[in-house]
Amino acid sequence: MYTGQYIPGNSLIHRLDPRVKIGAAIALSILTLRGGAFTESFLSAFLIALIPCSGLSAYQMGRAFKPVLVFFALLFFVHLLFTQGKPIPPFPPWRVTVTYEGLYRGAFTTWQFALLICNASILTMTTLSTDLVNGIERLLRPLRRIGVPSYDIAMMVSIALRFVPTFLEEIDRIKTAHIARGTTFGSGPLLRRILAAKSLLLPLVLRTMHRADDLVVAMEARAYQRGPRTYLKELSITWPDYAAMTVIAGIICLHMLWP
Amino acid sequence: MIKVKDLIFQYDKGGEQIVKGISTEIRDGMHVGIIGPTGCGKTTFVRHLNGLLTPTAGEVWVDGMHTADPVAVLKIRPRVGMVFQNPDNQIVGMTVEEDVAFGPGNLALPPIEIARRVQESLAMVGMEKQSKRSPHILSNGEKQLVAIAGVLAMKPRHIILDEPTTYLDPSARERVLHVVNRLHKEGITIVHVTHDMNEIARADRIIVLYEGRIAMEGTPSQVFGHVERLQDLGVGIPKIAEILWSLRETGLDVRTDIFSVEEACKEISSLITSQQKFH
Repeated sequence: MYTGQYIPGNSLIHRLDPRVKIGAAIALSILTLRGGAFTESFLSAFLIALIPCSGLSAYQMGRAFKPVLVFFALLFFVHLLFTQGKPIPPFPPWRVTVTYEGLYRGAFTTWQFALLICNASILTMTTLSTDLVNGIERLLRPLRRIGVPSYDIAMMVSIALRFVPTFLEEIDRIKTAHIARGTTFGSGPLLRRILAAKSLLLPLVLRTMHRADDLVVAMEARAYQRGPRTYLKELSITWPDYAAMTVIAGIICLHMLWP
Repeated sequence: MIKVKDLIFQYDKGGEQIVKGISTEIRDGMHVGIIGPTGCGKTTFVRHLNGLLTPTAGEVWVDGMHTADPVAVLKIRPRVGMVFQNPDNQIVGMTVEEDVAFGPGNLALPPIEIARRVQESLAMVGMEKQSKRSPHILSNGEKQLVAIAGVLAMKPRHIILDEPTTYLDPSARERVLHVVNRLHKEGITIVHVTHDMNEIARADRIIVLYEGRIAMEGTPSQVFGHVERLQDLGVGIPKIAEILWSLRETGLDVRTDIFSVEEACKEISSLITSQQKFH
């Protein structure tokens, strides 16, 4: 289980066309980065309302934030400490100057990033990676005219995703082989741990190259060639998708009126 | 029909020849076993049969199409399906059904047709219930069945199996071989490369390769009859034949051209009854 992993469900959001969801996520992200306090508050309310609509629990959403908490703390303190402005009277033992502006900017930027994470998590938690890849391929298809190889990009992304679990297993296997020969991982001084990780990487890269060779042959044997192909699932836009697009358009208008 | 004429292959100019002149014909619907020691050119040879490799010299024809013709090869690939040794390195899709859809997708078939073929192919190998699963949670045997389904979805007339049971446990091996037998009965040509003589004991024809050439060719009883010659070539004979040969060496008069358990049982039990009468 990793952050933002797909959570099976049949909610309204699950059933939306991936293209619409990707588009909406991008639009909301741009608004998040551009918006002022009013837009952010509105987006926060909207995203929080979206969580139950996606059939997700607060706990599941909370888990998505776990790996980025350190980053959030860093973001907050950097803004807090390095923003010029009107100083807040320091507490006696503190030597650092903290400004009101710093406090505001730190809190605001962290808020923005939290919204981005929430936004992206809703997308990935309600959309199968295959649908995401399909959606991206479709969205890129018009760019084929200017030479963007949409089919190849989709193929590359889906193969990369398909092999993630295989690589994890592989690392495990190499690790076991090392441990059987007396290496220890995850203990000892940092330098030794880094060196131990290096000894995992080399065999992994070699095996991956070998795998890639095999895979190319297998794909060619199944009549793979660059260029147009078709998919099992064809995407189709239905009325909930139009409704979702209308809602997003509404939010954009709102932002235009009251930034 | 697959026709191979004076096939010679080397990877680099001036390098060693991997295949040193093979000519043979594989008729439609046949079950052909290909055996030989490691490094004898088995894999290199079969990769010519669907145009993955093109001959340095000589020709390969599949159903009247030349494999060196870049246009024809696109029609040959779906006709000659290929299942490889390592089940992990031939699965492309993120789910079982999408992997099976890969071949028909490459042929740019309409989605409805793809969906039908995916369903049919998975049913043929008995994996229809796993269609939504991610391939990495399947066992090696199941992955190999998915690989076969992926080939079937292109509606091939010939299937090449390049040591597909190497990574499988005995029960998974049985399952895969059972499916292969059924496909053979449905009229698909099977070319089966293997190290396990038992797997091809009932093939229509066996080709023994040695150092890039055909060393022996014939029906199983013709080929496995030459035990000593096979040992020189570095290949064994099926377990059943081995038992019968050992019995014969002890002076018993048994047939040695039997490769199925049932027939061997009959032969041995008739031998026992005749011995009892004798006493």
